[in-house]
Amino acid sequence: MPEPATGGKAETGEARGAADRELVRRAQEGDKEAFETLVRKHQGRVFAVAGGILRTREDVEDIAQQVFLKAYFSIKRFDQRAAFSTWLYKITVNECWDLLRKKKVRPLMYEADLNEEQAHAYQSKEDGGEYVPDVSERLEAREQLEQWLECLDEKDRTMLVLKEVQGFTVEEIAGIMGLNGNTVKVRMFRARQRVAERIRRKKRAARV
Amino acid sequence: MNNPGIRPECEELLSDLEELRIEGSSEAEVSSALTGASRQHAMHCEECRSAIEDFVATREGLAPMKKALPEAGPWFTARVMAAVKSAENEIEEKKEGVWISVRRLAPRLAAFAALLLVLGGTWAMEVRRREANLQGAQVRQAEGLFETVQTDVANDEIVAPAGEGTRP
Repeated sequence: MPEPATGGKAETGEARGAADRELVRRAQEGDKEAFETLVRKHQGRVFAVAGGILRTREDVEDIAQQVFLKAYFSIKRFDQRAAFSTWLYKITVNECWDLLRKKKVRPLMYEADLNEEQAHAYQSKEDGGEYVPDVSERLEAREQLEQWLECLDEKDRTMLVLKEVQGFTVEEIAGIMGLNGNTVKVRMFRARQRVAERIRRKKRAARV
Repeated sequence: MNNPGIRPECEELLSDLEELRIEGSSEAEVSSALTGASRQHAMHCEECRSAIEDFVATREGLAPMKKALPEAGPWFTARVMAAVKSAENEIEEKKEGVWISVRRLAPRLAAFAALLLVLGGTWAMEVRRREANLQGAQVRQAEGLFETVQTDVANDEIVAPAGEGTRP
């Protein structure tokens, strides 16, 4: 998972929050450099969140840009009661859902849209020593994941991906989804039951 | 958590599971990271053991997705800032566009306003003239009431009671 840039130092959550608050305050006064720093700090996670929900890399990029544009033009109205990151990820999730609703498709996979150049990039990464699964392998793996997640609705899927793939805490997910922490836990429990059942069924079928 | 379908004694374990902050995903790792009470409970509760299994299965199942997530390219920040600038320019152009159209239409607007003024003025004058005429007529009529002579009504008839005209 891409971590936000922290300028080389390991920042604590509190220090990061304070730094964000200051940057937001400056951005609210029209400081573009402050906003640019916010973009640089949070783009990794915005990409990761959108990537967990959307199908193609192009969609992820477009939505990420849209999210930051929206944030730029509405930052004056952001009252800093919640963390800037929570506000931003909330915008991200909503933008992704809007796009999915417009497209009326289930999120599938973005490797499917890899062009030749990108496929080569993956291959050369592999040649460089770092193990990167073959594009078709990744494609297959992702397809499998999508089949497992197919049984969940948009919200449950997003929650599970935010938690298991992007490492968000229950509290953060509750903030992003506008839900109570306990509701998130219960929905996650039920979502896990359904996905685990699918995984088991698939494994049983593979054995037979 | 107070939820239907979940026994109160299982709620603590389910809550603990979601709060776990561990890197690993094996069942042993997950169990050892649970609180003592939850671990004890899981030993005797089949539902909670299967909840741990589900937790592990989904965690292991979704792990490959971490590697497949897209990352922002080094150009992304520049792209966002360019989009911000372009959007701001568009807004500015829209604002300026209104003024440009106002300036372009100014002679026509002035001509239209002048025409309106002439028409309005003419109408107002006409209304005043009519009112003055009407008032004059009323005054003349009021003065004439005392001067007019009662003329014989041409159609006046002498009406005699029925039968009176036939008497000898």
